Amino acid sequence: MPDTSPTLPGASTPRSRFLRGTRLGLPIFLGYVPVGMAFGLAATAAGFTVAQATVCSAVVLAGAGQFIGLAALKAGASLASALVAVGVVNLRYLLFSATISPHLSKTNRTQQMLLAFTLTDETFAVNMSDLREGRADTFSMLGVGAVSWTGWTVGTLVGALAGSAIGDPSRWGVDFAMPAMFTALLVGQVTGRREGVAAALAAALALLLAGVLPGNWPVVAATVIGATVMTAATR
Amino acid sequence: MTAALAWGLAIGMALTNIVLRATPIALLSRLRFPPLVERWLGYVPVSVMAAIVASQILTPGGRWLGLTRNPYLLAALPTALVYRFTRSFLGATAVGMLSFLAFRYLLG
Repeated sequence: MPDTSPTLPGASTPRSRFLRGTRLGLPIFLGYVPVGMAFGLAATAAGFTVAQATVCSAVVLAGAGQFIGLAALKAGASLASALVAVGVVNLRYLLFSATISPHLSKTNRTQQMLLAFTLTDETFAVNMSDLREGRADTFSMLGVGAVSWTGWTVGTLVGALAGSAIGDPSRWGVDFAMPAMFTALLVGQVTGRREGVAAALAAALALLLAGVLPGNWPVVAATVIGATVMTAATR
Repeated sequence: MTAALAWGLAIGMALTNIVLRATPIALLSRLRFPPLVERWLGYVPVSVMAAIVASQILTPGGRWLGLTRNPYLLAALPTALVYRFTRSFLGATAVGMLSFLAFRYLLG
């Protein structure tokens, strides 16, 4: 029987919203495959088996954190100190998780845990932008998470299997997949003068702080300081 | 690398990350934040995205690339325009990657 229901967003099924999320997450997939491949390569070079590298990505799903954990172990650090380093690098997830939490008040606990598991810089950015436009829901966010997880895990498997035989994926322009996606997301976020000022402030802070803070910390510090200044300045 | 160490790292990182990612959602999602905190959280997405874009485009890989001969910065302009007029992440990402390849080639 043909589907005669109206094609309004409100009339969509969980499945169609999930699939919409997977399409929304495709740029993340494009960006994660090559970085996942790099992790697969690095992990096997450090002595992981293909299965260990792939399972690691499948259960962790954390780009920079995984590289840091691996590098720490390779440099002879104990497992405990490697995990502390990973935790410190990924402290920003606390901030992202707190920021997205009010939007998950109607989401059940299992789905909340799945969304928490797939919370990365990229899925956070895509979902917050989609929420802002009033289109995101639990199922679309699960779709974004699923396609991102797939890209990261499959990328790691390919990198671990093929080793150095694949060559350098950067010749396909994948270096710019994540910057391009974040640029588009930023354009979507800057909807007025206040947002423009907040963006300029955080960008300037991130560049200034890059001279004094390591790793991801300039981004985190710029966000916290920028948001605090904006909150204090706009009553 | 011993098998125990490799699995230990995988499982340890998985636990570390899920605790960081899930704790605020589990504790805070059923609460209502004070208006001041809500306003602060409202500035987080735009701030974090701007900070990430600035870092990734002006200092990719941690190295300052400058404003003129920087393929990342040049490719960000068509990317932003395509998104502004089409509202398509995928379209903007594809155009961005192609422009990046072109600018990188042109700049040698």
